[in-house]
Amino acid sequence: MAARKLNLKERYSLLTRDLDWEYSYRDKKEIFPYEDFEGIKITDWSKWEDPFRLTMDAYWKYQAEKEKKLYAIFDAFAQNNGQQNVTDARYINAIKVFLTGVSPLEYQAYSGYAHVGRQFSGVGARTACQMQSIDELRHVQTQVHAMSHYNKFFDGFQDFSHMHDRVWYLSVPKSFFDDARSAGPFEFMVAISFSFEYVLTNLLFVPFMSGAAYNGDMATVTFGFSAQSDEARHMTLGLEVIKFLLEQHPDNVPIVQRWIDKWFWRGTRLLAIVAMMMDYMLPNRVMSWKEAWEVYFEEAGGALFKDLARYGIEMPKYAATAIAEKDHISHQTWSTFYNYGHAAAFHTWMPDEKEMDWLSEKYPDTFDKYYRPRFEHWREKEQAGERFYNPTLPMLCNTCQIPMGFTEMDDPSLIAYRQSVYQGERYNFCSDGCKDIFDHEPEKYVQSWLPVHQIYQGNCGGADIEKVLSEYYRINMGKDNLDFHGSPDEARWNAWHNLESAEERLKKAG
Amino acid sequence: MYEVTIEPTGDVVEVEEGQTLLDASLRQGVWLPFACGHGTCGTCKVQILEGEADPGDASPFALMDVEREEGKVLACCALPQSDLVIEADIDVDPDFLGYPVEDYEATVESITDLSPTIKGLRLRLDRPMAFQAGQYINLQLPGVEGARAFSIANKPSENDVVELHVRHVPGGAATTYIHEQLAEGQTVPLSGPYGQFFVRKSASEDLIFIAGGSGLSSPQSMVLDLLEHGDTRKITLFQGARNLAELYNRELFEALAAEHENFNYVPALDAPEEGSGWEGFTGYVHEAAIAHFDGQFGGHKAYLCGPPPMIDAAITALMRGRLFERDIYMERFLTAADGAEGGTRSALFKRI
Repeated sequence: MAARKLNLKERYSLLTRDLDWEYSYRDKKEIFPYEDFEGIKITDWSKWEDPFRLTMDAYWKYQAEKEKKLYAIFDAFAQNNGQQNVTDARYINAIKVFLTGVSPLEYQAYSGYAHVGRQFSGVGARTACQMQSIDELRHVQTQVHAMSHYNKFFDGFQDFSHMHDRVWYLSVPKSFFDDARSAGPFEFMVAISFSFEYVLTNLLFVPFMSGAAYNGDMATVTFGFSAQSDEARHMTLGLEVIKFLLEQHPDNVPIVQRWIDKWFWRGTRLLAIVAMMMDYMLPNRVMSWKEAWEVYFEEAGGALFKDLARYGIEMPKYAATAIAEKDHISHQTWSTFYNYGHAAAFHTWMPDEKEMDWLSEKYPDTFDKYYRPRFEHWREKEQAGERFYNPTLPMLCNTCQIPMGFTEMDDPSLIAYRQSVYQGERYNFCSDGCKDIFDHEPEKYVQSWLPVHQIYQGNCGGADIEKVLSEYYRINMGKDNLDFHGSPDEARWNAWHNLESAEERLKKAG
Repeated sequence: MYEVTIEPTGDVVEVEEGQTLLDASLRQGVWLPFACGHGTCGTCKVQILEGEADPGDASPFALMDVEREEGKVLACCALPQSDLVIEADIDVDPDFLGYPVEDYEATVESITDLSPTIKGLRLRLDRPMAFQAGQYINLQLPGVEGARAFSIANKPSENDVVELHVRHVPGGAATTYIHEQLAEGQTVPLSGPYGQFFVRKSASEDLIFIAGGSGLSSPQSMVLDLLEHGDTRKITLFQGARNLAELYNRELFEALAAEHENFNYVPALDAPEEGSGWEGFTGYVHEAAIAHFDGQFGGHKAYLCGPPPMIDAAITALMRGRLFERDIYMERFLTAADGAEGGTRSALFKRI
């Protein structure tokens, strides 16, 4: 009988887990010291099903071809002065948010997977994490390359990695990943592979990539497609992790449920910035944040949690609050950034009349009632030459590190405050979800590096806010920050397209 | 309409004009690996061995030029342009015997009333058919468009007949024809055997069968086959029915249970009539299983056959009792009344 052709699974198995070895002269616990301390019980690593089934030789071949294609498109984009063909220079600010807030997370993911890829005693899980680690490194590189073109023509891109580590709002994504990477290996996997890559990734990637497509940004669309072709492997890994943990031992179920509760909530807080990007920063809008949330979380996530119920896993604890927030979160977040537009490394602005009408239509229950009057007031002030900037420093949530600007959902005129006292100190939170996370591990979150506290403690280059912004954050004052109207970005854009400046338009309108 | 054969399992699905390979496969109960569902990830990449397909809207990064030249497509975007043979990244079970599908002429030998809504058919074949217990045939009936699938209820050693259990689906063309017009002596064409529902004989675990309504057919064939071959593993059959009149072939299984120490038979009625004297389990069939095994199912292989709500409840019961996807096998009895499975599906489970 002819030798049977091996299927992909068998080929993969021969090239990966069969290369593992027995540890004969060292204690296994000493080699994998982090595998037990989270309380997770693994009884049989052989039950792990490899999610990727891609061998290294095939991996290099595919990735190399993807890179060739991708860089050819970047070159064409640059040669055709693609930066001039986007819908409007305001759009570029969405990309600034991406480069400073999201791309460094790809780097954090690379580092996180490299770490846990060493920590599992199961070889299947180790290999999967190592491959994802390499993917993540590729993603950060291609993103930086794609956006380096914009750096030649627009402000705010030049110091993205320095800013990621220091700037107040970038501590939100940074602390999210720091939290995951400083957790145990299984929590990291539930946090990033499952809660983030599987449950919430569509709410991060799809809005940015379709936003790019709708606004003529072919470079970003292309790196998006290139990254998404890897993303499926990552999502599959997220599903395998969760199934594996839940099936290995019944004692794992409550631990996993708590991690899902925590990382779902942390994830939704992180996505507040995507919500504002979708509703306020795209000149050509794809869909509203509320619509995206309904499709990608309520519908797709609902189907997932219906299946997970078979394992005894319930909907994340604060899903109902997050669902109620879909009507408010983008408006409240944009308000916060508009308030602190002088302290951000991208531009903010008030929506024009047409854009406000779109928001009214998409948010019939909330926009006209709670947000439009405030925005019209700010617009009037701007027209009167008194563009509003908030001169104070906001209190930050001790868990998610977002300024405390979110409201109670049953009373959108009341800011939500929660507090806990730990060892005689008082800690503040924006929500029940963030307070719960702190209360479960206070010894971890008392160490939060909260930018406003750090400024007041004199750890950010001095007591003078101008100095903090320009020297410690390295924001080019008057160029990277402030309103889009009157910015050098706007002036360059208008010069390329022979347009009047906003100031001139405002004068005429007034 | 194109016919697509999926290797290495040999499953055959029919794909309509403009329908994607993935959509057609999932709707016809053939699982292929997939994730994004819209051509950007590449999880559902398959190799075309014979025939032509349009790769559709596959992203150039998920399906690269060199792969297109090799005849690869993404099942979620690919539109067949002819009949196809494809190879997918799916596993062939070592217990699958892969008997070839052939066309047969069958003569109706007998039609009996198994219950008020279920008829038993014995069809004599023009020649023996090799099949695995649990598989099904496609039956063609005069005046009924397309073939209808029915599970084989007899044991494989009895290879020149097929016994079918047919529940009357109100308004269903095929089952109405069988219940009202089909006559003994009539000849009907059929093809088979089909399907991936069979006993994993190489697995050492004890077996649980959960059957609902006319879904008894496959488990009946499987149990008869196992006992005939002197299998010594513990076998428990749960049979669910509405009431006593709907509970058919009870005597057959009670006799087998008396004869075989390793075989247990547990019938369950969810709505027994007042005064019928029912002393057995009252409740749904999955509840009978929970009661019998005290909610703990680990260390078994479970085989489920019946209407979708029963399958759904049984899977939940088994998983809550710590028996998971890799140990659960099933055949869903879908009728036109069930429609296409609505709503969004998560990618968490492959087969269940």
